Amino acid sequence: MKKLILLKTMFMREWLELKRYPFNLLSGLIALYLIFLVVFVGYRALGAGSPKFGNTLDGIVVGFMMWTFSISAYSTLSWELMNEARMGTLEQLYMTPLGFDWVCIFRVISSFFLNLLFVLPILALMMITTGRYLHIDFLSITPLLTLSLAGVYGIGFVMGGLALVFKQIQAFFQIIQFIFIFLIALPISKQPLFKAFPLALGSNLIQKVMVDKSSILLLSPEDLLILLVNSAFYFWVGFWLFKHFLRVARKKGLLGHY
Amino acid sequence: MVSVEGLTKVYKQKGKPEVKALNGISLSIEKGEVVGLLGPNGAGKTTTIKCLCGLIIPTSGKILIDGVDTVKNPQWGMGKISAVLEGNRNIYWRLTPKENLSFFAGMMGISRRKRREYVEELLHIFQLKDKEKSQARYLSRGMQQKLALACSLVKGTEILLLDEPTLGLDVESSYEMRQLIKSLVADAGKTVFLSSHDMKVVEDLCQRVIIINNGKVITDDTVKGLQQLFKVSSYRFNLEGELPVQARYQIKREFGLCKIGRDGANARIDVELKSAERFYDLVEILKRHCCPVRSIDHKEPDFEEIFLKIVRGKK
Repeated sequence: MKKLILLKTMFMREWLELKRYPFNLLSGLIALYLIFLVVFVGYRALGAGSPKFGNTLDGIVVGFMMWTFSISAYSTLSWELMNEARMGTLEQLYMTPLGFDWVCIFRVISSFFLNLLFVLPILALMMITTGRYLHIDFLSITPLLTLSLAGVYGIGFVMGGLALVFKQIQAFFQIIQFIFIFLIALPISKQPLFKAFPLALGSNLIQKVMVDKSSILLLSPEDLLILLVNSAFYFWVGFWLFKHFLRVARKKGLLGHY
Repeated sequence: MVSVEGLTKVYKQKGKPEVKALNGISLSIEKGEVVGLLGPNGAGKTTTIKCLCGLIIPTSGKILIDGVDTVKNPQWGMGKISAVLEGNRNIYWRLTPKENLSFFAGMMGISRRKRREYVEELLHIFQLKDKEKSQARYLSRGMQQKLALACSLVKGTEILLLDEPTLGLDVESSYEMRQLIKSLVADAGKTVFLSSHDMKVVEDLCQRVIIINNGKVITDDTVKGLQQLFKVSSYRFNLEGELPVQARYQIKREFGLCKIGRDGANARIDVELKSAERFYDLVEILKRHCCPVRSIDHKEPDFEEIFLKIVRGKK
């Protein structure tokens, strides 16, 4: 029960901060849409007339949506931890008797749901701009998206742990966001081993639902099982590393420094 | 209630000599006590407090709270201790006092209904009710620090650790903060362990003082005990005219640490006397050498002087 209150509290704070920084939210939405426009216009100039133009465009829309989610998923925790350290509230969060692990996990959960508020308008804008209306089956997309992003959140936990120890890790962020583009675009049908990477299989399955109008019930059970194991593995390894870095930060007296 | 035994913290960095931030600190705090932790910059005050909070893992030593070792069991300790670590930096500046209090109460898992009552009570006690809807960034520094203290109280723990609670406050806000801390001890039965550079705060609030330097406890005594220990009275004798050479020699010989100077054409003696009888001895010497005394100024040492003497190793 206390954990549920903690989760609600994290949502409340997230929502309040979102309301207090409306310009930040709006400028983020505009920036993402402009990036998509550049990609879209560039692709139209190069790929117009190709027989697969429509399908590839659908793939770009889905891939862009996954990329947007992923950037937010892996960077949220580390940004938040750095920000809390700067404000002097990180130590207070750490001192909750309900456990700092839960604070971080709930922070990630609340950010996932608030990200939906951020990504859904972008998805709608992308569909309107391209004129390609994708198959939105929430019952299929939600579990697939959750599982795909769980692995990315695992990477986010590692980044959060690194931020606690090394503080300035922004340069790392930029490298990783390009790696995500590569992971989302991996051709797993040509090389099944690519399924072992985070995000690759999940992104592929979501493409199947949204572009090929499939459903979670029609996807291969084997692929779903691999996705589940893959996500659990990356999430728990990431979380374990986060706890390791947290201990290093406490040993070095770095918690709360900025 | 709190017992620290042989607490050591060593920082090691490759290629650099190791730094001993804490070197075997041992101390205890009893229920309902207000204990001050004093020391010069870099003495280890904040490291001690952060070890008590579980924010820093000590290299060795024990921290027992109600008999439980919180170095091995930090989560348990966190349910027993609240802390204000950096004055006004422990709050969310974009949230209002009400939202801040509600958030920190939620972090403790306190239900919304209970939280509402609790928050109202704290807003009232800390006189923040008028500002409950202003974002914390628009409050004065004094109010922000009061809010930080209130936020730490929502945990409802018996032990309160305060690192520089009056840092940066003006005279009035500092006084208000001291009154608040006093009432927390008297009315709410809190046990307070505070570090401060402000000797007035320590003298006013603490029953006992622990002075540390270079990571070691150098004094652990009551404020009254320390005042007694350093009970020397300083006097300034303002004389009429010069002090004869023979009198000068005799005073120097008998009173050792005294300063003989001049105030224009008149001599002046600054001396510290450890007992009242010595006062008459000095007067007797002046009388014997026919030195008229124009006036005598007297002063008792303040707590700041006592602290400096201890840290500089004069006792």
